[in-house]
Amino acid sequence: MQKVLKLKKFLYSLLFIIFASSVSADEAKISMGKDLFNGKAMCAGCHILKDAGAAGEIGPNLDGLKPTYAQVIDIVTGGLGVMPAFGEDEILTKAEIDSVSFYVAKSAGK
Amino acid sequence: MSSVSNLSRRNFLTTSATVAGVAAASAVLPVSLAQANHDAASAKGLPEFIKWKDRSALVIHSSKTMETHRAAIGDGIVTPLRNVYIRNNLPSLTDKQIGNRKNWKVSISGVKNPKTFTLAQMQSMGTSTVATVLQCSGNGRGFFPHKPRGSQWLTGAAACLLWTGIPMKTLIDACGGISKGAKFMTSTGADASFLKLDPMIATVERSIPLKAHKDAILAWEVNGESIPNAHGGPVRTVTPGYFGINNVKHVSKVSFTKSESKVKYMKKSYRISPIGKKGSQYPSCWEMPVKSWLTSHTNKTGGVNSGKVTLTGVAMGGTKKCSKVMVSVDGGKSWKKAKFVGPDLGKFAWRRFALSTSLKSGTYKVATKAYSGSKSQPELRSDNRRGYAHNGWKDHSINLVVA
Repeated sequence: MQKVLKLKKFLYSLLFIIFASSVSADEAKISMGKDLFNGKAMCAGCHILKDAGAAGEIGPNLDGLKPTYAQVIDIVTGGLGVMPAFGEDEILTKAEIDSVSFYVAKSAGK
Repeated sequence: MSSVSNLSRRNFLTTSATVAGVAAASAVLPVSLAQANHDAASAKGLPEFIKWKDRSALVIHSSKTMETHRAAIGDGIVTPLRNVYIRNNLPSLTDKQIGNRKNWKVSISGVKNPKTFTLAQMQSMGTSTVATVLQCSGNGRGFFPHKPRGSQWLTGAAACLLWTGIPMKTLIDACGGISKGAKFMTSTGADASFLKLDPMIATVERSIPLKAHKDAILAWEVNGESIPNAHGGPVRTVTPGYFGINNVKHVSKVSFTKSESKVKYMKKSYRISPIGKKGSQYPSCWEMPVKSWLTSHTNKTGGVNSGKVTLTGVAMGGTKKCSKVMVSVDGGKSWKKAKFVGPDLGKFAWRRFALSTSLKSGTYKVATKAYSGSKSQPELRSDNRRGYAHNGWKDHSINLVVA
């Protein structure tokens, strides 16, 4: 019985660690994504995104558009019209595109 | 016929040099959302720069892109301006940025005596009115199964409009004629100059084959009113028969050039390339192909009673006259010739057509097929990377339920 309880405790703590670390990984990604949005990726110059305090008027309003993570990755990677191809032209790394896309998908319309 | 695959049409890309693509670098909304938001319950306000538009006529794709609902194209041939689609590569210029409209300047170069004209001067030099179909290169993109990036237009990124302005030929004559060796007419929009962006990326500059200058005008009125800023006023290049992008808004320069412009909007964007490939070696979105679609009924039309039903729609020939429209109520197995309705506004306008037929209760697959001389709409779309120039009749057909 003792063993079972110990095992249970161990499993719970393991689950907690996994959960906690994934939460903090998400938070880190969002924080990095926001920095990129307002900095290196230059998104704020062209888009409205309330969460980032961005009021750009060139591209579509992201709060209204509420794009999915996959949609943001696609367009950030390949570009469209005046929007640069951040991935194909190697302006951002894959990890950076992942972060900024995750951030936009999570924060648009919030 | 149903066994014909769209794949079989892919090789058109290697053979067709003139079929051109669409315009559209903007939103990425799922088609379902775009279609769903037309009803009043989900209506949102329109952005400030187009608050004069009829919200109920529009399907909103993003804050800057909206198309005319299939049933809101109107029965009057010329599309009411308040119903016309919105698709701008850059923010529309404001009244403040434009200043006194009469003083708007357009320079003409690549001619014997390059000159700059103000709008007031052009208005005193000559005038002409032409009816054209203005259609985004990506109209119909929403039907492509590979979900190309860009606005998911169905049928409504198109309009038939009456433009008034000065014939390009009149301006060329006033400048002593086109310089020797010119192969393209290149129009440049002033909008990018108001932005802090790399001009090679942001400038909307489009070159089209020189011969197109014969039909082109520099317009200052559309449907009898000054061209609104959202549609490219005070002066816009109008290139009859060519896709929307070539009708450069806020035009400030027209030059007759030996080569195509090197800006991104010419070199990279608006190229009709196979899926997975890109590059300036592929055809640019220039001449529009023959196309038609039903406007009287949609997939959502309800309450159609059995008996006599009149099916109407619009049909265009592209750069040539639309000569005939056939309508099928059985998904293309059999066709009947429709009648043209109303006046012929010239080969660059669309024709309204109608077919009255008796239908018993049941579900009908209604398709329309336009002809222009020996050319007619293909059954299938030509799959291409960015979803341009869709004129296949099958995807544009609708299911009509008759009670």
